Amino acid sequence: MFRLNLKIALRNLWKNKGYTAINIGGLAIALSAFIMVVMYVGFETTFDHHIPNHNRIYLVGRSLPDGKTNYTPASLAPSMKDAFPEIENVGRSKKTDFEFAFSTDKGRVYGKNVLSVDYEMAKMFHLWPDKGLKKPAADGYDLYVPQEFADVLFPRKNLTYPRLVSIGPKNAGQSANIQGIISYRTDHSNLKFDAMVILNDVGATQDPKALNYHTYIEVKAGTDVAQLEHKIDGLFKKEMIKNGMSADDRMISGRSVIFLDPLDNLHLKPIAGNNTNYKIVLALGVLGLLVLVIACINFTNLTIAQTNRRAKEVGVKKVLGAYRMNLIFQFLIEILMQCLLALVIGLALTELFLPYFNGLFETSLSLWKGNGSLVWQLPVILIVITLISGVYPALVLSGFRPADVLKGNLQTSYKTLWLRNALLVTQFSVAIVFIAGLLIVSTQLKYMKTEDTGFKPAQVVYIQNTAWFNRNNFEQLKAKVNEIPGVNSFTATSNIPDGSKAAKSNYSFEGKEQGLDMITVDFDYFETLNLKIKEGRFFSKSFNTDTVNSVVLNESAVSAYGIVNPIGKTIRGCKMDYRIVGVIKDFKAQGFETAVEPTVYTIKNPCIASTEKYMLMVNVDQDKMAAVLATLKTNWKDLNKHDGDDFRYEFLDELYGRLFKKQEQLQSVFYGATVLTIFIAVLGLFAFSAFTTNNRRKEIAVRKILGATDLQVLRLLNSFFIWVVLIANLIGWPIAYIVATRWLDTFAYRIDVPLLPFLFAGVISMVLTVLTVSIQARKAVKANPVDALKYE
Amino acid sequence: MIKIENLEKVYKTEEIETTALNGINLHVKEGEFVSIMGPSGCGKSTLLNVMGLLDKPESGSYKFIDTELLKLNDKERSNFRKRNMGFVFQNFNLIDELTVFENIELPLIYNKVPATERKRLVNEIIERMNIVNRSGHFPQQLSGGQQQRVAVARALVTKPKLVLADEPTGNLDSSHGNEVMELLCELNETGTTIVMVTHSSHDASFSNRIINLKDGHVISEKINKNRTEELI
Repeated sequence: MFRLNLKIALRNLWKNKGYTAINIGGLAIALSAFIMVVMYVGFETTFDHHIPNHNRIYLVGRSLPDGKTNYTPASLAPSMKDAFPEIENVGRSKKTDFEFAFSTDKGRVYGKNVLSVDYEMAKMFHLWPDKGLKKPAADGYDLYVPQEFADVLFPRKNLTYPRLVSIGPKNAGQSANIQGIISYRTDHSNLKFDAMVILNDVGATQDPKALNYHTYIEVKAGTDVAQLEHKIDGLFKKEMIKNGMSADDRMISGRSVIFLDPLDNLHLKPIAGNNTNYKIVLALGVLGLLVLVIACINFTNLTIAQTNRRAKEVGVKKVLGAYRMNLIFQFLIEILMQCLLALVIGLALTELFLPYFNGLFETSLSLWKGNGSLVWQLPVILIVITLISGVYPALVLSGFRPADVLKGNLQTSYKTLWLRNALLVTQFSVAIVFIAGLLIVSTQLKYMKTEDTGFKPAQVVYIQNTAWFNRNNFEQLKAKVNEIPGVNSFTATSNIPDGSKAAKSNYSFEGKEQGLDMITVDFDYFETLNLKIKEGRFFSKSFNTDTVNSVVLNESAVSAYGIVNPIGKTIRGCKMDYRIVGVIKDFKAQGFETAVEPTVYTIKNPCIASTEKYMLMVNVDQDKMAAVLATLKTNWKDLNKHDGDDFRYEFLDELYGRLFKKQEQLQSVFYGATVLTIFIAVLGLFAFSAFTTNNRRKEIAVRKILGATDLQVLRLLNSFFIWVVLIANLIGWPIAYIVATRWLDTFAYRIDVPLLPFLFAGVISMVLTVLTVSIQARKAVKANPVDALKYE
Repeated sequence: MIKIENLEKVYKTEEIETTALNGINLHVKEGEFVSIMGPSGCGKSTLLNVMGLLDKPESGSYKFIDTELLKLNDKERSNFRKRNMGFVFQNFNLIDELTVFENIELPLIYNKVPATERKRLVNEIIERMNIVNRSGHFPQQLSGGQQQRVAVARALVTKPKLVLADEPTGNLDSSHGNEVMELLCELNETGTTIVMVTHSSHDASFSNRIINLKDGHVISEKINKNRTEELI
């Protein structure tokens, strides 16, 4: 029986090659997109899952009056471990805020992110060097680097460790032993590092009160985390008061400060941080699912449309003794075979498109490695799409009454008509949401790229530097750089406007406290970035006090305090008084998603070590850019005596442009989803209109014989589909509006929802429909009516 | 063999009720060849569908060798049909995607006949129907007469007790039509009971008894003496 059913299925598919290709092709393309989405979502939602107890690990964070942070004091970890038995393990890590150069005679590598962790943390996160994790000496540390580092530093293979390397600028004369290689998939972990230092006590040489550690805890199974959070909060506040903080301090009073953020949440939606990753994963997941559902709808619709062709077969089989369940099973198996073929083609397409996908999302997804879950996911996908696309057609087909169908009465087609129409409307509604969505995303992106950011990064070059300057040696460097023809200004700062977060501290004005972003700068910072002054002046060498106690505020800071006529007034913070000498207009250093933070600019700030003012920026005439960069490269060794080993630079506009990356990804996702949806919908429409036109051949012939013109017939055949698209637009527009509004609400600086994308979606869908249907209808219109009647 | 009593069948749409069978009483003996005639819409096809268990009447009784068939559920009807009945339709109703051999084999598969036995039975009937050289062809590659031969072969391959034929020559020219009627006669001579619906008095002349229907009633019955004598 199975063999015979298989033959019928294959011969049927072959006989209707066009429909088969459209059916399977559409599904294969959608499946390919969906498989990539499944892989991506799988990758993004399993960060750190290689750690056996990942679901019991939490990062300890703090709520500040003006936000949230993951930085905690080093002393918190041992206190927690001592006080709460439900904590199995505690670990701490500390990021290095500046780059380290590692060099040997053979080569030099810059470690942007050298992570120091204590031994407990290494155990908790399975940070195992290739030769095993060993406890460092009591007051010592062990330095490990990834293989890529070692390959540059020691080109010869099969080395034995430890090996000595220079650390920092060559002339600084510092060195350290590399203990070995550490292999760790940092691209799939919340721990990001270029090199790792493992110590016994990461806070041993640091001020225990300094709030600059990440503290992780691993709790015992069954721990009441909310209760533990509450207990840690109490402990933290007690410690802060013991360290000299007033119980009324707004940093700790009147609210719960400590929160425990599960490790499993840190990548996608950390409590202290943004959830853009989560939004991208969610958007991709929903879009991928929608594309697949559209393709399944297409499949169902086309299969139902073709049921009449199979009616006789069903009738005959029932007469000859087939049960309904036999037939349901037969049709499901047939659809399963088609879905399986679509899946195989889909996998081939995935292999083809995966490199582009990886390029777009900066991932390294592969069908062949690291995706064990695909082994069970693919069969599940296959069964689900078979059921979605197959159950209804199988029920319709198997439900034919033999007494009717063998006489040629196909009344059932009317029963399924409303469903086919509803599916068609759904398909087009989704396509319309995607078209409008894509246009709105693109409009917002265009706005972000063309809107005045308040500064001009185009002429600014950021020079990477690892040396620390004092007033004198910086002035020497500055004087030499300024001599280069084409250089307009040169400055140093603790933060460049590339979206990075600045340190925050409380400042007060006439008793009103406010957390301000603190940025330390040097003379010419504002001029280098082309910032605009609103009141007062920029820092100037003509005023000696500027290097002592002058501040420039931004507009947001002034309005946060509500200061009227701020110039000359005093604000207090970091245990000293400052005089406000200028107010600059707000500029979007953090991009468009967050509002401009109230910010204080100082040349000297006790809260920020002068060593942190090491980022260099130079403003260069556009037409002399190449010459200036060449001169700097050639002379950098002489110019920057402290760190002249390599001249490394980046263009500030490119760095700033990276802030748009996630939104550009979203745009690409929308673009892909829109093209796919339209393609699949049009494909379905093409086959569907071919079917309906074919079914109406007799009607068309009669109408033509009675005098209908070609145009009238074309209008007749189009009118139904135009209604379908009109209804789809009416459904799609409000959905697109709601989704677009919610998305735009995530931006501090955004466009109003424009009208044009909706109209455009309407016009595009209408034009595509009329074109597609008319191509089919034309054949029927041009045919000789006698043939159709004879055929009947 | 068949005893039908007070059979009633009503078709209902939203607005109209049409009585297709109105208290039909009919007896068919084993080995008989009965023709049912009447104008379009008189209920002859409905009667055939009820006899073939393809349709359910509102009321009445239908006994097939002492088994009351109207009390059977769908599955039992299906089982009874495939074991005891064969069908021949006006428009042949062969499955276009299967070859002649496979079309004839289909009822044997539903009757769970083993593969080797199936092959033997199909070859036997193909030979009997004189379509050996067509066994690998698809229905569209055959003439109307040949297609109806295949349909008859399919109806006979399970050796049913009853063959129901619905205007078997309706789509054929006269020479092919006669061929099919002769085939049915031969079959009847070997003991198979046949009930045939037809518009053609010529075709009806091949049967033992002609029953005339009008508006769902049996209005007359005529014995075909020549054929009946043969039967006796």
